[in-house]
Amino acid sequence: MNIVVCAKQIPDPAEPGELDPETKTLKRDGKLILDESDMYGVEMALQLADNAGGGEVTLVSMAPDNKVDGIRTGLAMGAAKAVLVSDPALAGTDALGTAKVLAAAVGKVEGADLVLTATESSDGYTGTVPEQLAELLGLPSVTFAKHIEIADGKVKVQRQTDAGYDEVECPLPCVVSVTAGVVEPRYPSFKGIMAAKSKPLDQLALADTGLEADQVGWAGGGQEIVGVEDAPEREAGEIIEDDGTGAEKIVAYLENLKLV
Amino acid sequence: MFRWNDEQLMVRDAVRQFIDKEIRPHVEEFEHGDTPPYDVLRKLFATFGMDSMARDRFKRQIEFERTAADAVARGETPPEKPKREGGFDPSMQMIPIIELCRVSPGMVTAMGVSMGLTAASINSKGTIAQKERWVPELLTLEKIGAWAITEPDSGSDAFGSMRATARRDGDEYLLNGQKTFITNGPYADTIVYICKLDEGNDPAERKILSFVLDAGMEGLEQSKPLRKMGMHSSPTGMLFLNDVRVGRDRLIGETEDVPAGGRSGAKDTFAMERSGVAAMALGVISECLDLSIDYAKNRVQFGQPIGQFQLIQEKLARMEVARLNVENLVFRYIEMVQAGVSLSFAEASAMKLYSARAATEVALEAVQLFGGNGYMAEYRVEQLARDAKVLQIYAGTDEQQIIAIAKDLLRE
Repeated sequence: MNIVVCAKQIPDPAEPGELDPETKTLKRDGKLILDESDMYGVEMALQLADNAGGGEVTLVSMAPDNKVDGIRTGLAMGAAKAVLVSDPALAGTDALGTAKVLAAAVGKVEGADLVLTATESSDGYTGTVPEQLAELLGLPSVTFAKHIEIADGKVKVQRQTDAGYDEVECPLPCVVSVTAGVVEPRYPSFKGIMAAKSKPLDQLALADTGLEADQVGWAGGGQEIVGVEDAPEREAGEIIEDDGTGAEKIVAYLENLKLV
Repeated sequence: MFRWNDEQLMVRDAVRQFIDKEIRPHVEEFEHGDTPPYDVLRKLFATFGMDSMARDRFKRQIEFERTAADAVARGETPPEKPKREGGFDPSMQMIPIIELCRVSPGMVTAMGVSMGLTAASINSKGTIAQKERWVPELLTLEKIGAWAITEPDSGSDAFGSMRATARRDGDEYLLNGQKTFITNGPYADTIVYICKLDEGNDPAERKILSFVLDAGMEGLEQSKPLRKMGMHSSPTGMLFLNDVRVGRDRLIGETEDVPAGGRSGAKDTFAMERSGVAAMALGVISECLDLSIDYAKNRVQFGQPIGQFQLIQEKLARMEVARLNVENLVFRYIEMVQAGVSLSFAEASAMKLYSARAATEVALEAVQLFGGNGYMAEYRVEQLARDAKVLQIYAGTDEQQIIAIAKDLLRE
């Protein structure tokens, strides 16, 4: 069972983030870590490979500047190898451009039975890459998986819904996006951390993917950030003086909001 | 080495995450609720594979010792001890110590005594059979160890005033005595008991022997935890031995003919213990400094953050100097181990003396910086200050370290 996990490296949320006033996008020049959303995919992949009695977990990622810290975390957790597409031309790539690059990177991994992604990244939150990736790879896909089983060449998924979950099946190979919190990501063991540095990490430039510079980055972006504004100040609340009818007024207020 | 490398930082971050999740939220229970620390320490070991690494290392060591013993038995020259495998990094042991000491130094005391003192004393002087019998489970914390040397009337003068005895009785020994301030004493499964062989001779000339005891042996009583100033997450107790009968299989090394009358074995253990204290001190100092910086930035008095006042700045600067110095001692130790160079007894003593004093000074200055809040248990520096003090007392008092350093300096 060979599984590819799309893993994004994002600026550490513990550090105060900053926007680039020129591009109006998040500055990414500091330390990058593995997006917590992707740790669930890595953990799920490791468990599925274990349950299947073998196989490899491969990480694929893209970054404009060769940063590998976040990838190493995934390798330390137990992934066998990684493919990183890194090129200055990738700066400013939008969701569709990202999907194109990831699809090209997944194409470099031989014999992938399953591609896992998060439902959305913790810094961009577009939530569109998994479907775009599936389309570009020509694979079927299931989104919002809270539980995955592999049997008889199919993936059986509990797909999270507002009311609970649907049980769906999909033939392999396919793309499945995994919701956050469904498995407990393991801590990397000390041995895993020490081994991570020597695991294969294939670093590709944009040219190696077959994509052109005008398909990615600012040049290939089909979107533009025209402005960044502060969120509006919170409006003052309504103060209800209790003259003996306070409870009724609160109930009426909540009814008006359709909350009771 | 002047800073942690990428791998070491990854280890630090992972251990820190574990501690933030598993220990910090429960620190009250460990510090004030008499909850023994062993389960969470075992979880720490299992989570990071420290238990399997220890087991593998032990297996390789025993395989080598067997090969060497077989060669000697055949009259051949034993093979040279293989150098530690590439990639062995003592920081894998130091970083968890430092990180745990930011939150609960008592946990390190409990862990260190079990693995670092009890297991090490059997592993360095025991027979292969003894090592296999007791060491693996101590190294993985499946069993908890205690190392019993201190007595009510014998502290710094450990060997001189020691009253605990072993008397021969046929092929066996009868052990008697009382030990106190024994870390893990109340809960220990395996106890290394250090005593004098009583042959009716002058106590000053008696050999020092070490025996391995198991909890529940007839005549062995383990007290409840003693109340202490700090290190509440480390259970400390007394041991009472009344005619505990042991075979020669429990005498470490299975021989009474121990070098330097048995006094050198304990000395090796002291040297190892002393270097560990520097890592503990670094954890305490780092945490106190971080907490103090945060408080100095946010606590407003006289209309401005107290960090703007020079008397507060002086405290912060001194804490940073201490942190840098102790960190450098720890880095030096790591590099020496990697290079296969041992610390001398005097060096280990100097390292411990400086680090322990620095930790206590920094922690007390942190309490002072926090003012009334610092004296309250709610603010963490109060606990760290109580915990830090014992670093100057256990594993040899400051005064004993000074004697060891001076003795080495004045050696002819």
